[in-house]
Amino acid sequence: MNIVNTAILDPTTGWLILAAFSALWIALGWYFGRNTQQLDDYVLAGRRVGLALGTATIMATWVTSNTTMAAPQLALQMGVWGMIGYSLGSVGLLMFAPLARRIRRLMPSGYTSGDFVRLRYGNFAWRVFLLISLFYSLGWLVSMGMAGGILIHALTGIPYHYGMTVILSICVGYTLLGGLRAVIGTDFIQALLILSGAVIIAVLAIRQIGLDTIHAAVLAERPELLNLLMPASIMFLFNNLLFGVGEIFHSNVWWSRAFAFREGVGFRACLLAGLLWAPIPIVAGFIALATPALGLNVPAADMVGPMVAAQILGTTGAVLVLIMVFAALSSSLDSLLAATSILVVEDIYRRHLKPEATAVQMRRATARIIVGLGILTWILCAPRLTTLAELLYFTGAFVASTIWPVAAGLFWRRANSAGAIAGMILGSAAGLYSYFAVGFYVAALVGAAVSMTLVIAASFLKPERFDFGNLQEIHPRESKPVSGGL
Amino acid sequence: MIISTTAFAWLVGVALVLTIAAPIILLGLLIADWKKGRLW
Repeated sequence: MNIVNTAILDPTTGWLILAAFSALWIALGWYFGRNTQQLDDYVLAGRRVGLALGTATIMATWVTSNTTMAAPQLALQMGVWGMIGYSLGSVGLLMFAPLARRIRRLMPSGYTSGDFVRLRYGNFAWRVFLLISLFYSLGWLVSMGMAGGILIHALTGIPYHYGMTVILSICVGYTLLGGLRAVIGTDFIQALLILSGAVIIAVLAIRQIGLDTIHAAVLAERPELLNLLMPASIMFLFNNLLFGVGEIFHSNVWWSRAFAFREGVGFRACLLAGLLWAPIPIVAGFIALATPALGLNVPAADMVGPMVAAQILGTTGAVLVLIMVFAALSSSLDSLLAATSILVVEDIYRRHLKPEATAVQMRRATARIIVGLGILTWILCAPRLTTLAELLYFTGAFVASTIWPVAAGLFWRRANSAGAIAGMILGSAAGLYSYFAVGFYVAALVGAAVSMTLVIAASFLKPERFDFGNLQEIHPRESKPVSGGL
Repeated sequence: MIISTTAFAWLVGVALVLTIAAPIILLGLLIADWKKGRLW
């Protein structure tokens, strides 16, 4: 398909929208981050984020371009279970709620998820975990960068490299200006934009076509999409659930928020964000089921969302979709840049290369790493290799293998280092094998199951008596004391 | 087992109501946090 010829908006309108929102994000990034000279202010928003900003940043980060574009695609391919399966991504957020509270209490001065694994399981487990975490972060960054270029191109006809460069540069720019405060501040506005766009398109679809008509047309033309016993969809549902849990439990994107939230906020913010996030894939996805009623011929399933929006609302619908996609991409990319940069600085730069680094040097290193990550992502996205975009699916086996080492390590004294290491390595290997031998939809399931078995078996064979007080590491170069405790 | 029109309408309707409520809840929380000086 020649996407340029089927672009829904003309490039001039596309450039105008990109320019307006780029200017807005940069201005807000500067505004929110204007007083972030201290390391903790820059990388953890001062560890005082309240409930409103906390809830919004979790929601906006978890709404990626996939949520707005792939949810309709899944509805078109897997029907009702496709939408519901995607919305079960919220289970990861709900399950992270008790972890967020525990993390904040046990590690009031912590910086990264790597800090936890190092202190809980020792150096070898920490390095295995870092490999998984950095591989996943890079996979997510590349898939978001490529998605940015491809979606902007598909929606506006703007060449792939220009769109990809704009989205990466803007996110690097405002994250660099204000660190995590800029990320969280812009996330609030991005969350409002995404929610409003999804609601407007859904309400107009219902008003113009009607749910009865949508249901009747699907039943007549593609009844399998309304079948609640579609086996492939049910497999997808469980795999997606575990993939999401694995992504959230291990990734520093979520751990950095747990550290950044004010005492007592983490649990409520994750719970509320999970509840409010769950309906978004259904609202964004069901419009794809309107294609039979509209008589739309969809040449590419991944473009069904924008096509239906444009059919219902004309140019306004296409503009809304572009704004939603731009907000969804920015809110995920900025979080990844901020969280991965502190992971690299704390766990590689300080812990491996420069143990005597001061807070000022770490602050400076974080800014450089943000730029470096942006450049690396651009280089990897430039050839537009689809195999790289699939990297994220590939990581399902790896991240699912970290669920049990992380959860058991936080709550269970008996969990030991041998079980965590075996769980991560053998769980990843088994998940990877099943990815190739069976299919993508079982990789996370197998990875999590093998890891769980090993972590539990090792804990019973050689139980540890871990003292959780050992996680309260005082950061030697903190510029100010941090409140909280066990 | 085909989902009925009523169940389909309920599924989409409930999801839509929650999504409409989300920005209102977020703005309400923002104002509450701001008044208590606990935004950041």
